[in-house]
Amino acid sequence: MALILVGINHRTAPVDVRERLNVPDAKLPECIASLIEIGSIDGACVISTCNRVEAIVSSPTEEVIESLVNWMAARAMTTRESIEKYLYILRHGDVVKHLFRVASGLDSMVVGEPQIAGQVKSAFITSQSCAALDPLLVQLFEQTMRVAKRVRTETGIGEHAVSVPYAAVELAKKIFGDLAGLRVLLLGAGDMGELTAEHLASQDVKQIFVANKTFDRAEELAQRFNGRAVHFDRFEEQLDECDIVIASTAAPHHLITADHVERGLASRKVRTLFLIDLAVPRNIDPRVAKIDGAYLYNIDDLQLVADANRELRHKNAVDAEEIVAREVDAFRKRLVAQDAVPTIVELHERLEDIRAAELEKCLRRLGPITTEQRSAIEQLTTQMVNKILHYPILQLKESTEEPHEREFLRRTIRKIFGLR
Amino acid sequence: MSISPNATLYAALVLYALGTIAALASLFYVDRRLQRAGLFAMIAGFVSHTIWIGTICTITKHPPLTNLPEAASFLAWSVFAVELVLLAMYRVQAASFFVYPLVFILLTLTAVVREPFAQIDRSLHSRIFISHVLFATVGVAALLIGVAFTVLSIAQDRALKSKTRGRLWEWIPSLQVCKKIAYRSLAIGFSIYTLGIVTGVVWSYETTAGPIELRIKQIGGVVAWVLFAVVLQSAMSGLQRTRRTLVISACAVIATAVAILGIHHG
Repeated sequence: MALILVGINHRTAPVDVRERLNVPDAKLPECIASLIEIGSIDGACVISTCNRVEAIVSSPTEEVIESLVNWMAARAMTTRESIEKYLYILRHGDVVKHLFRVASGLDSMVVGEPQIAGQVKSAFITSQSCAALDPLLVQLFEQTMRVAKRVRTETGIGEHAVSVPYAAVELAKKIFGDLAGLRVLLLGAGDMGELTAEHLASQDVKQIFVANKTFDRAEELAQRFNGRAVHFDRFEEQLDECDIVIASTAAPHHLITADHVERGLASRKVRTLFLIDLAVPRNIDPRVAKIDGAYLYNIDDLQLVADANRELRHKNAVDAEEIVAREVDAFRKRLVAQDAVPTIVELHERLEDIRAAELEKCLRRLGPITTEQRSAIEQLTTQMVNKILHYPILQLKESTEEPHEREFLRRTIRKIFGLR
Repeated sequence: MSISPNATLYAALVLYALGTIAALASLFYVDRRLQRAGLFAMIAGFVSHTIWIGTICTITKHPPLTNLPEAASFLAWSVFAVELVLLAMYRVQAASFFVYPLVFILLTLTAVVREPFAQIDRSLHSRIFISHVLFATVGVAALLIGVAFTVLSIAQDRALKSKTRGRLWEWIPSLQVCKKIAYRSLAIGFSIYTLGIVTGVVWSYETTAGPIELRIKQIGGVVAWVLFAVVLQSAMSGLQRTRRTLVISACAVIATAVAILGIHHG
């Protein structure tokens, strides 16, 4: 049985090629059906994300690769020659390693990004619901999900934010722990501020207040975050009750001063305020950082956090690669052992038949013997059979991962021992 | 072949040593597996420690609180029990860098001094005395954890203010969680410890018909109570992130250590 993967990703193909091959979730079953129709395929799965499109199949023959490339070309509505240069073709152990790396986020554009594990799982579930998976692919995908989980748990590769908005959310969590129940003030409608507020909104904050020079825009944003628009000249009132302030206006001066923050903190029970200044020129007076209970981060500080996290992810990726390598080896050994089981069983049966028949003949010739003597002869013959079988079985279990080499070994052993 | 009743004490000591080494090593290698291994070793040590305490109770027919090794051992046990409760409630084990070595040192003290299984004076069989020692020990355990989290909240505050990540950044929970645990541990510990001091005074009146005698452990205990009161006040007024609180906390821990060591001198 051959495992084959044909695909493109962000490193091998430009976006215009990727978008032509991209399969929307709703069309995935139809796509899998068309893949199976090319023939000689026992199991198939298609992973389609914005950065990759990959077809993974199990087939009795490697000749299916030709058909897979043609299938890809047809889907991209182009010629085989023009798509071929973007494709990578993986076989057997390389497929296993690739899938383990993809699901662990090691092959992603942003190393360690957490979404990919969910996308691989979703592709697996879709293929399963289309009854397109054979036992080999089921085993492969189940192990892939286990490896992805192990990598994340043991290395923490996806835990640290590598973008400015996520870094702000991560810092907010480092200050407040759970963000649910917090109040956020978004000052201005800059893109980065909007994005940060969006990430905070996804953390179930209690309320987002939006203050903007143009009240209509503030209302529009507030509606999006299920929050409340406030008049720009009255934003100071919100400082008394908000826990997080995001400033991202185009104002050329400091909108929030140390006095504002001191007054805001003095009137509250929990004297902690996280201020995120994403504006250039800055909207928050840097002296605010000196106030006890106020934590001020500007765009450069957040960028530094994101950069440090990116570096940390690359360090974690080294550990992750080691885990993947060990898991690939273990999976390969398991597959080889499984593959060898029928031959091993037949070998045992064949030699046991010979042993039993020869023993019977020998005992008839010997005449009457004691039970102990009979038991000793039986033990001797059984041990001899086991010793004879030891090396052939070892070879079958530990043969290389190349299917044709395994097949050759299996045929040779079957021929030598006269198995059908 | 009979097993020595102290076998579980030494097993606990070895396991606590392994747990402490793993926790401190995880600080340098930032490895979760190491931290988890440390926790498992400590839990195994705690089980062995509990068996040893149970053995003392069975042999002597009184709680294991009547001399320095027993009190140090019970304090170590209580500190780790509080740490386990916090782990279950908040999923944090950041104080392990403080708690594990403390537990290990206290149990080492027990093993070195070696006076357990002592039969006690009749007057010490009183319920008030046992309540006094029990409250004082559990109270001190909670207060020590409270101090540990106060230190962690100061470290977290400084890391956030200076925008630099120290070695503890990965392990310390959020600032609010540190403050919440510190405040709760200090408040609960202080209340229990106060009950311990009150019952101690009552017992002293009952046995000597006079107020408390001013010996090392009593002076250390009262000074610790005053200092912990100041630390608690700082936590209540949101001022626990100051250097002053850090210094007073350190003094409170030293006073507690003096009180514990004072048990050895009556």
